[in-house]
Amino acid sequence: MKQVTILFFATLRDMTGERRIMKMIPDDMLIAGLKDVLIEEFPRLKDIINSVIVSMNHEFAFNDAPIPSDAEIALFPPVSGG
Amino acid sequence: MQNQTICKIVESEIDLDKLLEELTQNTTGAVVMFTGLVRGITERKNPHETIQLEYEAYQPMAEKMMQRVADEIRLKWSNIETIAIIQRIGRLNPGKPTVIIACSAAHRDTGVFDAARYGIDRLKEIVPVWKMEIGPEGDAWIEGDYIPKSND
Repeated sequence: MKQVTILFFATLRDMTGERRIMKMIPDDMLIAGLKDVLIEEFPRLKDIINSVIVSMNHEFAFNDAPIPSDAEIALFPPVSGG
Repeated sequence: MQNQTICKIVESEIDLDKLLEELTQNTTGAVVMFTGLVRGITERKNPHETIQLEYEAYQPMAEKMMQRVADEIRLKWSNIETIAIIQRIGRLNPGKPTVIIACSAAHRDTGVFDAARYGIDRLKEIVPVWKMEIGPEGDAWIEGDYIPKSND
């Protein structure tokens, strides 16, 4: 098992009620697997998960990406800066 | 003087005169500065009134992605001298600058207009910043529509 930090921004923070959580995950878990775990914990994510953007250690991350130990993962909606 | 790249998230007002100085070296003859503002009255598409916008950033990633935008600008327009990409966060009133993309070059025909345009378009795709609209009817997050690809 390895520990990761998960951050939520904007609508994702409102939806989960969380800003930052720590989680223990299996060593071979990919981003796709982590999404499934989060949907179980926060069922409201289910309907929007396909438009949720995921980053890992400050780079965009996709479903097939392995998760290194101590990764900082963030979930957020499409950006709207400017 | 060397070509600089300035990428930052700030909470206080952006001093445009000071920034212009930072963008200017003795070879500079042209600066294009795009400024986004909080628009009080929106007429296009869904007309509405905005009291304030509240900006939030995932700061370390936002600054990294701003640097990426600047790197992309340099690859496309190699004559650009200084690049500044600055996003202000917090609660901002109508009429206030929220973002600056500024590029300097020796001459105006170096692609400097296109470079600044590319910079703001790309910022709105990959830099993790979000805004919440505070209006007379209540608050609502504004979402973009760009889904990053594996080469972003």
